[in-house]
Amino acid sequence: MIGIVSYGAYVPMWRMDREEIARAAGTLSARGERAVASWDEDSLSMAVEAGLDCLTGIDPKEIDALYFATVSSPLKEKQASSIIASALDLKENVNTSDVTDSTRAATSAVQAAFNAIKAGSARKVLVVAADSRPVMMGSEFEQIGGDGAAALLIGEGDTTADIENFSTVSDAIPGPWRLETDTFPKMFAAKLDRNHGLLKDVPEAIGGLLKECGLEVKDISRFALYAPDPRGYFNLARDLGIEAMTQVENPLFETVGITGTPHCLLLLVAALEKAETDQRIVCASYGEGSDAILIRTTERVEQAKGKRKGTGFISSKRMLPSYGRFYDFKKAMEAGDARPDGSSVVKYWRDEKWGIRLYGMRCNNCGTLQYPISRCCMICGEKDNHEDVKLARRGKVFAYTHDYLLGPGSIPSDGINPCTRVIVDLEDGCRMWMEMSDNEIAEVKIDMPVELTFRLFRKTGGFPYYGWRARPAR
Amino acid sequence: MSKGIRDRVAIIGTGVTQFGEIWEKDEEDLLVESVYEACGEAHVDLREDVEAVWIGTQYNFSGVSGGAFSEPLKCYGKPVTHCENFCATGMDSVKNAAYAVAAGIHDIVLACGVEKILDQGSRGLPDIGTGHPLAVGMSMPALFAICATRTFKEWGWTEEDLARVPVKNHHHGAKHPKAHFRREITLEMALNAPYIAYPLKLYDCCAMSDGAAAVIMTTPERAKDLVGPGNYATIKAIGHAVESLQPFGRPDFTGLSFPANRKASRSAYEQAGIQNPRKELDFGIVHDCFSVNELLSYQDLGLCQPGEAADLVKDGVTAIEGEFPINPDGGLKCFGHPIGATGVRMVVELTRQVLGRAEGYQVKNAKAGFAHNLGGPFTTSMVTIVGTPDWEPGG
Repeated sequence: MIGIVSYGAYVPMWRMDREEIARAAGTLSARGERAVASWDEDSLSMAVEAGLDCLTGIDPKEIDALYFATVSSPLKEKQASSIIASALDLKENVNTSDVTDSTRAATSAVQAAFNAIKAGSARKVLVVAADSRPVMMGSEFEQIGGDGAAALLIGEGDTTADIENFSTVSDAIPGPWRLETDTFPKMFAAKLDRNHGLLKDVPEAIGGLLKECGLEVKDISRFALYAPDPRGYFNLARDLGIEAMTQVENPLFETVGITGTPHCLLLLVAALEKAETDQRIVCASYGEGSDAILIRTTERVEQAKGKRKGTGFISSKRMLPSYGRFYDFKKAMEAGDARPDGSSVVKYWRDEKWGIRLYGMRCNNCGTLQYPISRCCMICGEKDNHEDVKLARRGKVFAYTHDYLLGPGSIPSDGINPCTRVIVDLEDGCRMWMEMSDNEIAEVKIDMPVELTFRLFRKTGGFPYYGWRARPAR
Repeated sequence: MSKGIRDRVAIIGTGVTQFGEIWEKDEEDLLVESVYEACGEAHVDLREDVEAVWIGTQYNFSGVSGGAFSEPLKCYGKPVTHCENFCATGMDSVKNAAYAVAAGIHDIVLACGVEKILDQGSRGLPDIGTGHPLAVGMSMPALFAICATRTFKEWGWTEEDLARVPVKNHHHGAKHPKAHFRREITLEMALNAPYIAYPLKLYDCCAMSDGAAAVIMTTPERAKDLVGPGNYATIKAIGHAVESLQPFGRPDFTGLSFPANRKASRSAYEQAGIQNPRKELDFGIVHDCFSVNELLSYQDLGLCQPGEAADLVKDGVTAIEGEFPINPDGGLKCFGHPIGATGVRMVVELTRQVLGRAEGYQVKNAKAGFAHNLGGPFTTSMVTIVGTPDWEPGG
């Protein structure tokens, strides 16, 4: 059967205490904490991280299509999924598509993946969903929202869980919306959206799905749902007649916040991590309607446990020290450098293989593995005689400094927050000169274990350049 | 191996401006002052006698092309070459000018350098990079700070070991009339200063300074006519090596030693016929852009064994009254580092020391010494040896 072959997730390192937001913004606290993308992360880079987690131990060249679901793509005109595919080192003829504009996009992408496989046009399709939405200071969403990503690899055979059926409801309700020029979503009335959108569409989609399969609510062990706020979860459980404590997958409100598009997939990943063989899970989204997916676990669901980091990212965390720091992180990387840089976009495009796909080269004469790829070997000088090698993503620090003069992405520093720079020795022996993210100053030491992470590098001349940085091993 | 130009080129005139934060003057003022001082000392007329010119600037805001010289001086019609080679920019100008004399192409040449770093407005040196959007940048202090963390690990050096270098150099520079900083500092001041790039603190780093310097060179024969015996020095050797722009990715990078330094100094010593520089030379000027670099340079330039440099400073060996004075002028620590000017200024200092004209900071009985630059990410290194015409190696 067609189903979920692998799953993965990503939650950024940083958390913001909601009490702290409430104190600073003069609002009431929603309690708990929310996940916050680092200043050098966005939905695109987090989708790469979730994709990497999902593809652990899987040959990326087997993937036929990649769908990226989001409502917060960093690019208005330009495909994000092609960059994600490159960073995941997928094959060149991979079918990439961005599925956007509604928080329902994640399940739409899963359905499209299922259909492509069913039609025989693809064998394995990777769905990555991520959101890091802008927040208005003092708004309710500032507290209840969170940043994160999830990924599902859909395929046939060797499934962890089979997809048994879909149902969908489309609804032209006003909901939240954002015009081309809007930074933050507008909303006519949350109550209208909840009572006549969420609480109508989701039960309709789930009801239709169960009815068609001859199932009842009690036959479902877990519901992985999306609702825009905690109240929506409470109301949905009540209206669907499901046990809030046992049947509803914990919406991660206290620890992550509501992530948006990826949220129902993130909860599905959490459900799969706990699931036993032959259990039924319903995953349902909401946004101008609802999609519901009926999933049945196979015996491989047990074997998959512990093989991915998945929601383990949630407990790997650091608290942001202040609201100011949170605000700084959320206002996206204003890379501050508008110098025209005419040739660099060309260089970025030309050097995709080492810059985004993360390949080094091994000299066929002296055997040195080195980065980046160049014509002549840096050690023996051998010309045009090397093999391109996909590099490891783990290593340790060889030497380091905290640079108070030059900031990340070569932007002049404020002189207060240093940029940690490291020489990293990768597990495969390649040595790289990198910037570090997510670290505390005091923890950086020679031999410290690190991982490479895909991040926004700089925005010189207004173009977003993504690349690889080091982070403390998580 | 280079044949070298030992004693084939004489330095007959030197000029140096005040170094510092010179907001009220531009590169034109600084070049005019240093060039006219050098010409005056050499008894030559810039427009009538100087046949060819080499000018060093690193940044385009200090000037590009041969016009960087011809326009400020309004000195048109001569062959002028613009040099750029990171922190060795000025010394490379001297090298090429000297080689033209040794090759017999010109008799009287001018080498000069200038940088108006302050005009650019940055807290550190402007990032020139490669223009590649994924090139991982670094501030200059970060470049050497990385190495300092390795010396701590390998040899147990400490922040105090580093801090003794600027304390020594400030002690020297306090007596130099042209230095940017003319005051002593204490070990406590150095250790209590804020970090610029961990573990390098404020006094471990040279400052942002403006300045210019110039030298007039000719053949030893013409030198006797123009300034007379005892008033000129000769070039004994110029060693130069260029290495990688991306040393941090090399699996053989240690942070403890730089191949460019070793190759440039070995070449210079061979050209001059020197076996043991610490015994045969009288002093040195090393590229102390950062404290740790002065220490690592002692080792690469053969003044001591790896790991011993910190003790040389601690034991006073390299103090001006010590066995082998290093940076008797105060070094980059006290002069700052206007890139294009620095290497030329170092050659000026060598000349003044061996001619006994370094009043207030004179090394006793100085007959010959070396000057050293290390530029970029340990990319380009130069070592120039200057002495009295009668100096011989082995002494």
